[in-house]
Amino acid sequence: MIITTILVLVALLVLSCLLWLARAHASAAKALENPAEHIRAVDIEAFRNLVDPDEEEFLRTNLPPVEFRRIQRERLRAAVEYISCAAHNAAILVRLADAGRRSSDPATAEAAQKLVDNALRLRLYALHAIPRLYLGMILPGSRISPVRIAESYEQMTRLVVLLGCLQYPTRGVSAAL
Amino acid sequence: MTVSHILWYYLWLAPKVLQVILLCGMVRRGLHRQFPMFFVYTALQVVQSGVLLVISRSHFGFGEEYFRAYSAATAVSAAVRFGIIHELFSHFFRQYPALVGPGRLLLRGATIALLLVAVGVAVSAPGNSADFLLNVTYALDRIASILQSGLLISLFVFSRYFVLSWRNQVFGIALGLGIFASIELAMSAMRLYGLVSGTVFDFVIMGTYHCCVLIWMFYLALPERVTPHTLNPLPEHNLDIWNRELQRLLQR
Repeated sequence: MIITTILVLVALLVLSCLLWLARAHASAAKALENPAEHIRAVDIEAFRNLVDPDEEEFLRTNLPPVEFRRIQRERLRAAVEYISCAAHNAAILVRLADAGRRSSDPATAEAAQKLVDNALRLRLYALHAIPRLYLGMILPGSRISPVRIAESYEQMTRLVVLLGCLQYPTRGVSAAL
Repeated sequence: MTVSHILWYYLWLAPKVLQVILLCGMVRRGLHRQFPMFFVYTALQVVQSGVLLVISRSHFGFGEEYFRAYSAATAVSAAVRFGIIHELFSHFFRQYPALVGPGRLLLRGATIALLLVAVGVAVSAPGNSADFLLNVTYALDRIASILQSGLLISLFVFSRYFVLSWRNQVFGIALGLGIFASIELAMSAMRLYGLVSGTVFDFVIMGTYHCCVLIWMFYLALPERVTPHTLNPLPEHNLDIWNRELQRLLQR
């Protein structure tokens, strides 16, 4: 009887998820109308500093262990926040570049495809990095260095600029976004 | 013939008539080349129902021969539905080369995990039918339902996280299959413990299948969605940040 209850509950959960997704699919086009309002600023330099192993080593050697653990937890919490923002921006860029992939101009389509791939990779890194950073908060001694996120974010930035220049050649770099 | 008989035959045959229309529509729009497994599944459903109808109207009636044919048809349909899920996965990840590796990993991981759960559930479940063949059919059907609804939900969650865009047709096929698999899972679990009778089970399953055929018809008839280009309306302060970032990169 317990198995039946669990199976019925799981089935109902799956069904509600599917109905919710069907609604989300119908309104997906509307969500693209105002992407600007959802972009969050990310300071890559600050992020690099937060996940820099040398910086961590410096703090470890110069601070008392209790103080180091407290500060390290704060730093990792901030890093999680940065990664979440970068992943959030990547999600918006996937949606924006998706349209560019179907462009009739091969250079624009290629740049858009690269941007989509890069943004997806960044979200994949974020999926790996965030749990590891939380683990680092529980065990402040463990070494975590999600530098690939910063590199991927920088590459994504460059691709957005390139895509903007290809789509709006007369409006300069600012037209990228 | 009572009202429930008429309703029963309607729910049995109407989806098949709609599926014939669906098949014609798919051929006309060239969708049978894009979704061959789904096309085969739809055609198979029509043929299977025709055969089962002929058996039921013959001197065999709804006897042992009918249930043998029904069991075989259920097993074949479940197998082809796995083929459709594989087709959906490949359709999806073909568009996003960066996710081919993680997608494959997801498909394998989810299949193994769900298979373990499904086999566990099937082994621990009692059989309420004296017929061994029917017991095995229902157990396999439950395993298939768990696997299919789980795989489809994994695909939906994965695509949701990566904000991937679904083509209308792919979404419709996945939605219909997912709804059918989840309702079938709930109903077969309730039937297993005698919470619903065989008649109620048949009505609910056939009614759900009818709805799913309508969902497939709706989504396959929809034109392909064109996402608008909106790369330019971001506010100035964001442009400053991105431009500053670019200048810093160029100065390196």
